[in-house]
Amino acid sequence: MSKLVSPAAVPGTLGSGAAGGPPRRNRARTVLAARPWLLLAPALFVLAVLLLWPLIRVVLFSFQDYGLREIVSGKTNFNGGANYLEAITNPQLWSVVLPNTVVFAVAAVAGTVIFGTLVALLMSSLGKTWRTIVGSAIMVAWAMPAVTGTYVWIWIFDADNGIVNKLLMGAGLMDEPFNWFTNRWSFYAIVLINVIHHGFPFVAITVLAGLLGVNKEMLEAAEMDGAGPFRRFFQIIFPSLKQVFTVVIILSTIWDFKIFSQVYLMPGGGGSNREVLNLGVWSYVESFGQNRYGFGSAIAVLLTLVLLVITIIYIRALMKEDEL
Amino acid sequence: MSQTSAKKTRLKVVRGILIAALLFFTLFPAYWMMSSAFDARAGSGNQGIVPAEFTLDNFIYVINDGGFGVFLRNSVIVAFATVLISAVLALLASVAVARFKFKFRTGILLMILVVQMVPLEALVIPLFVQVRDLQLLNTLLGLVIVYVAISLPFGIWMLRGFVAAVPVELEEAAYLDGASWWRMFRSVMLPLVMPGLVATSVFSFITAWNEFIFAMTMLQGSTENYTVAIGLKQFFGEHSNEWGYVMAASTLITIPVMIFFILVQGKLSSGLVAGAVKG
Repeated sequence: MSKLVSPAAVPGTLGSGAAGGPPRRNRARTVLAARPWLLLAPALFVLAVLLLWPLIRVVLFSFQDYGLREIVSGKTNFNGGANYLEAITNPQLWSVVLPNTVVFAVAAVAGTVIFGTLVALLMSSLGKTWRTIVGSAIMVAWAMPAVTGTYVWIWIFDADNGIVNKLLMGAGLMDEPFNWFTNRWSFYAIVLINVIHHGFPFVAITVLAGLLGVNKEMLEAAEMDGAGPFRRFFQIIFPSLKQVFTVVIILSTIWDFKIFSQVYLMPGGGGSNREVLNLGVWSYVESFGQNRYGFGSAIAVLLTLVLLVITIIYIRALMKEDEL
Repeated sequence: MSQTSAKKTRLKVVRGILIAALLFFTLFPAYWMMSSAFDARAGSGNQGIVPAEFTLDNFIYVINDGGFGVFLRNSVIVAFATVLISAVLALLASVAVARFKFKFRTGILLMILVVQMVPLEALVIPLFVQVRDLQLLNTLLGLVIVYVAISLPFGIWMLRGFVAAVPVELEEAAYLDGASWWRMFRSVMLPLVMPGLVATSVFSFITAWNEFIFAMTMLQGSTENYTVAIGLKQFFGEHSNEWGYVMAASTLITIPVMIFFILVQGKLSSGLVAGAVKG
């Protein structure tokens, strides 16, 4: 990638800013051609050294038996595809880790997008005052950092003194406190609430911005013709916001596939309860918990490949609008 | 006539209930966090819905004895350094991709888009090794370098929308008046992309302020170098009402972010629409 930085590789294409410039010919032309590369150079350097090279390295690590010794000595220790073979033949991958990653992501994306859209629809029907109030409340949910948000939800569902258990017991629905974190389903239900709470504001604000641009007359005409709210949504609103929904769905998918702290910080989520592992946490605990950096890298590469497929879909959706 | 007005009243009631439920869901965690932070009985089992014994002790403890003041200072240093460096780099790069046509431009844009999607879990292993080789483990500088890299792609992506929105005619007018490119940049371009720069800065600030996985991995030495995101862990374990401490520390972390979000609320949504939706 670094060869791209070389200004010599660029023929004398003129920037649009030069369109009105004075005719100073060759030297000026070379300076102009180099200018975008000079502007890009610092950013490209950072991206190449800190994102692209590490990305290549994690693939290299994934084909090695890379442990503490290799980290210290810097020696390579290739073992073919043994790490991938181990990951793929591990029954836990198929029964626990992959379902936890994929099923959760699907549920979280559906939950976030549907809930966010409903909130946007509600907000678009409100007057200015209430829209501001609801909008500010949404900002509060958005502003809460993932780490502190996760701790708050852990505290709310705490087995001993959490308010949920106390309310349920006070209402006579439970006789004794329930530990929500030991069961895989209730564990991920809490993660789901946490992720939806943190993620829906982005969807709501973005969809609302799109909704305000939808043709009001068309909606009113449809209502006059007796179209119910569902028909109005799916036949008028959704088609005109298709682009917004594509981006919102794919961005949420990418975010929800790689949730880490929301799982890692929960009781048992840091690797002690293997029932709740997802790809990201599994990769991390194998690497930094077991010092099996090669095996952890292989898992990380698998996660990246899944995300890459989604990214390609994302880019193609954007390309259709020829935004690049 | 009365039938429609009855229907309207019912609609209003339903909408009122929906708003109340929504406000409860969005605000309750923040409320409970602060309520627990200010309650002397937090975590003890007889904490009420409203703080019965109002206290500042939790805050005093986490700042004085828990070292949270140091964590806050570290996070402020890391966040501001990240914002400053990535804003400059992103602005320069976004001008290049939004204003110039050159070979590999689309390729570079695609690369920026793709690296944005790479999960941090995949980067943390090689970057840990890299930062270790540079002997920057347990330093704030090592963290700043990583955070700049993480926030840069999104910054470029978002700013290029704002740069592209600056009319080329304005630039050309500046040239015709004899202004140099740099002068044009400072007095025409910069003021117009300022809203985008603010929105981008908020995002990189929040990245640096909230980031957890790299902070946990790279700051494993003494707690002196901890940032707030991992400093929180300090308050688990020894004490019976640890939740009061954790929630007080969480409140301290959350308030700067909330202030930021409320201050830039309008710019944030216009930035999102320009940056995320349009491309």
